[in-house]
Amino acid sequence: MLFNSTVFLQFFTAFLLLYWMCRGSLLARNVLIVVSSYIFYGWWQPVPGQWDLRFLGLLFASSTFDFCVGLGLEKLDHNPRGRRALLLGSMLVNLGILGFFKYCNFFIESFATISNQLGLGIGTRTLEIVLPVGISFYTFQSMSYAIDVYRRALPATRNYLNFLAFVSFFPQLVAGPIERASHLLPQFERPRIIDRAMLQEGFWLLVWGMFKKVVLADSLAPLVDLVFNGSNTSGPATLLATLAFGLQIYCDFSGYSDIARGLARLLGFDIMWNFQLPYTAVNLRDFWRRWHISLSTWLRDYLYISLGGNRRGPARTYFNLLATMILGGLWHGAAWNFVLWGLWHGAGLAIHRAVAGDSAAAARRGRAVAVVSWTGTMAFVFYGWLLFRARSLEQVVTLTGSLGRWTAPPWIGSFALCLVVFALPLVAMELWQRKTNNLLAPLRLAPVPRFVLQGALIYGIILFWTREKAAFIYFQF
Amino acid sequence: MRSHQNEFSVGDLLRIVGGPLLFAAICAGVLQAGARVGTLPAPRPAFDADRAILLHQADAARRQAAEVVLIGDSSCLMDASASQLSGMLNLSVLNLGTLSYLDLSAYAVLLREHQKLHRPKLVVLLMHPEALRRLGSETYQLAVLTNYLAGRDHSSTASAASAFNAWAGVDIATGRLLRWIPAPLRGDYGTFYGFTTDLERYMTRHSGSAIDPGQEVFKGNPEYRLAPTLEKASRAFRTVLLPQTRLLVGITPVPAGFAHTGFPDERNRLLADWADWLGTTNALRDLPATLPDEQFARVTHLKPEGVPGYTTSLGETIHRHLP
Repeated sequence: MLFNSTVFLQFFTAFLLLYWMCRGSLLARNVLIVVSSYIFYGWWQPVPGQWDLRFLGLLFASSTFDFCVGLGLEKLDHNPRGRRALLLGSMLVNLGILGFFKYCNFFIESFATISNQLGLGIGTRTLEIVLPVGISFYTFQSMSYAIDVYRRALPATRNYLNFLAFVSFFPQLVAGPIERASHLLPQFERPRIIDRAMLQEGFWLLVWGMFKKVVLADSLAPLVDLVFNGSNTSGPATLLATLAFGLQIYCDFSGYSDIARGLARLLGFDIMWNFQLPYTAVNLRDFWRRWHISLSTWLRDYLYISLGGNRRGPARTYFNLLATMILGGLWHGAAWNFVLWGLWHGAGLAIHRAVAGDSAAAARRGRAVAVVSWTGTMAFVFYGWLLFRARSLEQVVTLTGSLGRWTAPPWIGSFALCLVVFALPLVAMELWQRKTNNLLAPLRLAPVPRFVLQGALIYGIILFWTREKAAFIYFQF
Repeated sequence: MRSHQNEFSVGDLLRIVGGPLLFAAICAGVLQAGARVGTLPAPRPAFDADRAILLHQADAARRQAAEVVLIGDSSCLMDASASQLSGMLNLSVLNLGTLSYLDLSAYAVLLREHQKLHRPKLVVLLMHPEALRRLGSETYQLAVLTNYLAGRDHSSTASAASAFNAWAGVDIATGRLLRWIPAPLRGDYGTFYGFTTDLERYMTRHSGSAIDPGQEVFKGNPEYRLAPTLEKASRAFRTVLLPQTRLLVGITPVPAGFAHTGFPDERNRLLADWADWLGTTNALRDLPATLPDEQFARVTHLKPEGVPGYTTSLGETIHRHLP
């Protein structure tokens, strides 16, 4: 079910009504959350018009498995070898499922390509595998629980229902944020306080997130397609389309994350901020502290630190950064351009670490240096978006080459106009948020200006609601 | 165990949600009032290739005087170059062909609009055999055209969603305010033209003609006939023409490899019947019934490379019918 669909609005209205009716019982509310989350997930049709409930089974099995692993780890409290083996088994199963659905065909195709290039001519056949929506998100969320229990950062839960609710919680089920059990799971176990501030925040995030998706991201998408789905060889077109994609993916994903957090707030939950004004970052490290925070902290805590982090000397640190970011790139999808994107960022982080020193010193270097640093960071990040959006490595080469050809197609003016029109609301809002150092700055407004702002955004959503709707980009990951 | 604790009042809830919704409703009311009073710009909902072409041709019909008017379906739009014809005939030529699934009644609307201000000497009606067997206009596009010419917003109350849009002033806002934002075109049209505004600019530069930038596998049924409704529509179209305007009628070509072997004779029979219904003896029988497959972008449209040759044939044929 897409957040930006009429069926979701109906679903959520009915859910709120039932949620309110169940207010007397925590158990009833958690049952309602699990049932509704499974309906929400089951609504997704891998082939349009055909229900496929098998993926519900996968979600259920995956949750049940990690619940049992948690109990097992606690039972093996005094058996380090057993605990280690159980955790390894758990990771093998989780990553095995993810690998099968997400990477099987990628590896078969890559193997066939390499064997053909070596002249071996080994014939291979890809499998018809449908990637279950949100599998990367809920697998990582579920895995983090097992790892935290293993590390004794968290006691294993004995409440199966609450664990099912934690893994399947519909506001963040299919595209995150990837929540940590230590943060979200206890919220199912205790009464939830819903106050005026939470309602206000939830409603604002719902409206602003929806505006970013329905109005901004979905209007930028066809601009991006015009260049990336065509046969463009013009530098200005590549440049503008890459800018447009950087804004599209941000509006799309942060819009989803805002809606997720907003929905959770309305239900009395707190889920993490996934974005903190990433395009205001003044260096690459700063960018990764602000972009897809739930994934970057997951990779830091469970992969980078497990590999040794920065504790084993500079060379090993650079290797760890590269490996973490390449795997982070591959997490997004089974394609070489994602590997390249991860490598690009990994190399960037390693170089930054080697030459920039600590960020506090950089921050003291003054405004002019900050502007230069911001410009360089954005150039680096946005070229990364070109790698990310390209449909093939050949297209990466073509588009990169086009950046040296400054002949513009006749429609470049229309493109620039559209880009400015749809970037402006985002830029204005983020400048305001940055200036006030408050992501919820609009809630500080007096009631009437706040109503005007929110009302105008709602009207914008209504205007663009009937236009062609695109699924959230991160659904495919 | 209780599931939660509410620390807000119903009043709080109403203020948080009701205030913004009230402002959104005020926006809708202001737009409705603005449209009624006439303080808003005129509607121009050109948000895709079909509507951009249709509205461009409606504007061109009003704006541009011409001695020769080409009118018809998308094959007229894409196969005949108005500027090349103008050079050949030494006359001003305007192409009012349209892309959408419109029929003679829509062409009659465009022609009537043109003739309100201008007096063409010659009207050349060109349609593809595919269009001749179609039963009628797509009502949506016809409504877009007639509403545009009447300066009305294009609203519908056919479904609950469209009724809500009409009430909320969505059609007013999109047609009158968002009209300034160009819409990117899809697929080959996007690659070639870019945006709706660029497509319109191209058509203005080429006196209303466009080209099909795509390439599609030939598909469909090559058994052509005249739709039963065409007779009535043709007779009605004839009545729109000014008495001093001469009407020429032609059928645009089909790929040779797609048409069946007896198609040229069949085309002549269809053309004769159709010309009879239109009350004209000026049927363009000399135009080629088929052309080599490689000159076509799809069954109904020539490629840009095929246009000059076909336009030359058309120009020579028209020349023979000039007084």
